[in-house]
Amino acid sequence: MKALVARLGRACIGFVSGLGAITRFAGAIGVVVLTRPWRFRSLSRQLYDAGALSFVLISASGMTVGMVLALQGYNTLTRFGAESSLGAVVGLSLIRELGPVLTALLVTGRAGSAKAAEIGAMVTTEQLDGLRMMSIDPVDYVATPRALAIFFAMPLLTAFFILFGILGGYLVGVNFLGLDSGTYLASLETSVDFRDDIVAAFLKAGIFGMLVGLISTYRGTTCTPTTEGVSAATTSTVVTASVCILVSDYVITALWGV
Amino acid sequence: MSRVNGSGSQDPHVEVSRVRLRFGSREVFRDLSCDFPRGAISIVMGGSGAGKSTLLRLIGGLLRPDAGEITVGGDRTSGTSPAEVLRARRRLGMLFQNGALLDSMSIFENVALPLREHTENGEAEIAERVSARLASVGLEGVEALLPRELSGGMLRRAALARAIVMDPEIVLCDEPFSGLDPPNVARIEELLRDLNRSRGLTLIVSSHHIASSLRLADQLVLLQGGASICGDPGELSESHDPRITEFLGADARAHVALRAAAEAKA
Repeated sequence: MKALVARLGRACIGFVSGLGAITRFAGAIGVVVLTRPWRFRSLSRQLYDAGALSFVLISASGMTVGMVLALQGYNTLTRFGAESSLGAVVGLSLIRELGPVLTALLVTGRAGSAKAAEIGAMVTTEQLDGLRMMSIDPVDYVATPRALAIFFAMPLLTAFFILFGILGGYLVGVNFLGLDSGTYLASLETSVDFRDDIVAAFLKAGIFGMLVGLISTYRGTTCTPTTEGVSAATTSTVVTASVCILVSDYVITALWGV
Repeated sequence: MSRVNGSGSQDPHVEVSRVRLRFGSREVFRDLSCDFPRGAISIVMGGSGAGKSTLLRLIGGLLRPDAGEITVGGDRTSGTSPAEVLRARRRLGMLFQNGALLDSMSIFENVALPLREHTENGEAEIAERVSARLASVGLEGVEALLPRELSGGMLRRAALARAIVMDPEIVLCDEPFSGLDPPNVARIEELLRDLNRSRGLTLIVSSHHIASSLRLADQLVLLQGGASICGDPGELSESHDPRITEFLGADARAHVALRAAAEAKA
């Protein structure tokens, strides 16, 4: 029993100190963002890597999810004779919930884990220490452009996910299930509110982007300088970021009804 | 610190004073003190796990000791003031064991990086300085290559070029000879000696390469049991202290004699 309490205590201390460390790391990134020099070249390269190179994955996933939603939605809506609302069901599901959350999970798996592994490998090969010895802050030079790139890429990728999802829903609903094209689009248009739905989706995406960027770069820079350490940092990035996305999604929805 | 002849070093550039360091339950340094004279080549020796690289990282401020003080030209790298550590680092260059060059950048970009970050120099000036530094380490025509395209010896020299590009007063070299073949060891040795003589650099080198160390060093710092024994190669090779003779081996005197003969000839 005593050992159990001790273990619980150690876990709590570890959790709180970890939370403190990541908060300090976020503060350091915040200071770097607000002070010169701004590394636009590095940011654009990272943005290409995290954003443009994720485009195909995000669009294909979005389209598939939209197609499945249309199939499932149509079958359910038919029971109530409400199949004309398919556009609204697909659109609202994607915009309010599935778009931001699934994009964030996919970006975590593709870009977040890659950034953690990349920075972890730099730790292992002493590249970050090399920067420190040249009086170059690794948070400024390495972590911030990567974290910002994920932050900026997330809303854009979410938009593409939603767009391709709606397209997928349209293809299945109109071409496969025989729904009228005008009905699908009209139901989508009348049900989606710009402020309550679209702005809120981007707000969620921004928050998820911040979380994924922060967690992946933090796990990378603090990884143990061994091969196992890099592997653990990568796994931990995916697990921690995924849990944070799902928990924060609930919190945002509960607090603001988004 | 214990010195084999009992005297302290003249004009210390780097001072390590009563440093204690633990990694978990393992004690790395117990009351370690040693001075590194200005303009001298000091070689830190010791068995595996003796703390050679750790000492260099402490001097560079990459690690903080549990107790004790380390100063580099008067600025503490062991303290908590980031400004003081940064000031000290401006005096330092470091050659890491595996080069630590940024692998996504070309050799030119790597060597130019500190100049771009810390000077207002234009591109032409940077290019000129980078080429000069690469030439000074015997590397020409590799500017466009990536670090992975260089051999171990070339990589070490490129990293040395980056370490000296900002004209530091002190260069820390972590195991510069490890994993290199004899011609490359001789080349790096010559480069370090040349840098020390032509630029008056203070060099602090960690190595377990005994022959090179005895040929190169003005001062040897032997780490054992968390403390240090300092002396010049002649003093240490003549010593009957079993801790020293056991580490340096029977050939130490011969290496020192060969060096003395070569210096007399020169």
